[in-house]
Amino acid sequence: MKTPIIEVKNLNVSFGNFKAVDDISFSVKQGEIFGFLGANGAGKTTTIRTICGILSPTSGHIYVYGEDISKNTSLIRNNIGYMSQKFTLYKDLSVKENIEFAGTLYNMDNKKIKEETQKLFNLINFNESENTIVSNLSIGVKQMVALCAAMLHNPDLIFLDEPTAGVAPQIRAKFWQLIKILAQKGKTIFITTHYMDEAEYADRIVLMQTGKIIAIGTSKELKKQFFKTNFYKITPKDGNNIALLKEKIELLNFANNISLYGNSIKFMLNNYKKWQQFLNEEANSITYQIVSPSLEDVFLKAVSGK
Amino acid sequence: MISKTSIKAIAFKEYKHITRDPFTMIIALIMPLILVLLFGFIVDLDYKHIKIDIQDNNNSQMSRRFIDILKSCQYFKINKLNSMLEIENKINKNNTPAMLIIEKNFDKNIVRRNSGKIQLLLDGSDNAKTGILTSYFTGIASSANKIYAKQLNTQYNKELIRTRFLFNTELNSKWFVVPGLSTIVIGLIAIILTSLTIAKEWENGSMELLLSTHVKSIEIVIGKIIPYFILNMLNILMIFIISLLVFKIPFESSFFIYSIACVIYVTGALALGIFISVVTRQQQAAVQFAFAVGLLPSFLFSGFIFSIENMPSLFRYFTALFPQRWFMEISRTLFLSKTNLKVLLVPFLAIIIFAIFVIILANIKFKTDMEP
Repeated sequence: MKTPIIEVKNLNVSFGNFKAVDDISFSVKQGEIFGFLGANGAGKTTTIRTICGILSPTSGHIYVYGEDISKNTSLIRNNIGYMSQKFTLYKDLSVKENIEFAGTLYNMDNKKIKEETQKLFNLINFNESENTIVSNLSIGVKQMVALCAAMLHNPDLIFLDEPTAGVAPQIRAKFWQLIKILAQKGKTIFITTHYMDEAEYADRIVLMQTGKIIAIGTSKELKKQFFKTNFYKITPKDGNNIALLKEKIELLNFANNISLYGNSIKFMLNNYKKWQQFLNEEANSITYQIVSPSLEDVFLKAVSGK
Repeated sequence: MISKTSIKAIAFKEYKHITRDPFTMIIALIMPLILVLLFGFIVDLDYKHIKIDIQDNNNSQMSRRFIDILKSCQYFKINKLNSMLEIENKINKNNTPAMLIIEKNFDKNIVRRNSGKIQLLLDGSDNAKTGILTSYFTGIASSANKIYAKQLNTQYNKELIRTRFLFNTELNSKWFVVPGLSTIVIGLIAIILTSLTIAKEWENGSMELLLSTHVKSIEIVIGKIIPYFILNMLNILMIFIISLLVFKIPFESSFFIYSIACVIYVTGALALGIFISVVTRQQQAAVQFAFAVGLLPSFLFSGFIFSIENMPSLFRYFTALFPQRWFMEISRTLFLSKTNLKVLLVPFLAIIIFAIFVIILANIKFKTDMEP
């Protein structure tokens, strides 16, 4: 078996009495998009910082490329790219100056920086002037450029901490396409987000809550683990009586996890007979379909069912 | 191993931050200029052409002689009053800084009892001025005594009061203030700007990014302070040139020694700035901290405005904690006197100890590890 690119064993990080990361273990394979999900304060950023060697763990071990990072920090520092949540680029410097600065910090010469920048800019379709001051870029473009800066030295392992926070949806999709391409090229991507829809793109997902891992697996596995059956989604033909309809379903007591979903009602069945009865009665006024649970459902259930 | 490339990259980046931020540029380049010109031209701590009201109730040859002495020393603009009513008016309206009243039998009393009386009224609301005026009059009175003694051929037996100002022989406050300005300017630029720049990296999270690379914290610090070191040195040079050329202040001793003192003092001040930024990690807190330990002591405890000799003893010892005080001493001494360097041994030791102490402190505090 190939050694995992990251292996975390019983990691604990405490600040005083506060346990930011509480005894977590996981491993990440080469070429994987590894998604870290959780609410703010769940411990995602702390985990990333610890793996990047910016924070020391209170206890536990982290192996990157098979090496214990507490013993070999320089290895990890030269071979990872890190895009932090809080800071990405210096706003008062131009795109070019930011990129050059990042490159110099990794001991790259000017020629090499130029080559790599060209490659990366082609990849992200950057078509503005290199001399644009960063504060004049849109958030989406800025995040893309920041990704280039983090990858300039061609690391195999890239940490992205909430790279799409505050970015417009269409740009987010573009950003994820880029991440897919990078993964296909063999890069391992460790990414955190709090957008549940985005997490579907990840190969494997970790759900975190108050410092603990509450679930881990592929999107499919997680859904299977938390939901034995699929959801039913019914939509009234005229949209007006949706609240009334919900009341009725609750009264008939054939479903649980009932929630309003825009213009429709989503629920899980627990009494097939009653459902058939209901369906016969309402046949003319509703349509229904069977849907698989979303990651959001998984997350909500995982969080509530701790 | 410290990497020169990293330091160069960080210093170059910092240079761009400085040149692109109008706020920094103003503090770094325009403020020192304004300070020098302000203190050099406008703020005049000298007390010349003092308006003085004189009521001569004696109007004898002897009393006129006394007024002539006053006239001849250029410090006073004399306004003769004609009645006691006028005196009352002036005092009630509070528009006289000083007033002399010569008693009616001034000349007779001198001849008979060897003591003529002159009453001096001073506006005591300005402590500093009162002090200066008192010393002026003591001087004048003693020279008048001599003249009268000669005139009367009696033995001059009063204690002779002589006030001599050494070094600043002209008692020219510019000579005293301008050389001290470099202390203030460094207080401003070194401590405040340095603490701001590193606190900024903490605050916007870029420090985290820098620390995630193989760049060492010492390289970050050195890289970040190089531009500020140069800036400080340029400012000192500017003040030096203006002092010599514009204010014609003599520079009496070794420029080399002065440069060494500047390098030591600036290093200490920069280290203090770094220490502040590491402790606070926030720009706003850093500025407040820097004002409290940097700028305010530069003005208050350095002897720049308030003379240390006149402070209560507790404060006098307290000022010894601030390198500003010692650098002020070095700076003034080197400018105004051809001094024996032994005199400066203590001030030099003080700024060296301060610099080393703060560097060690900042180093201990500057942890590679980030904590929230």
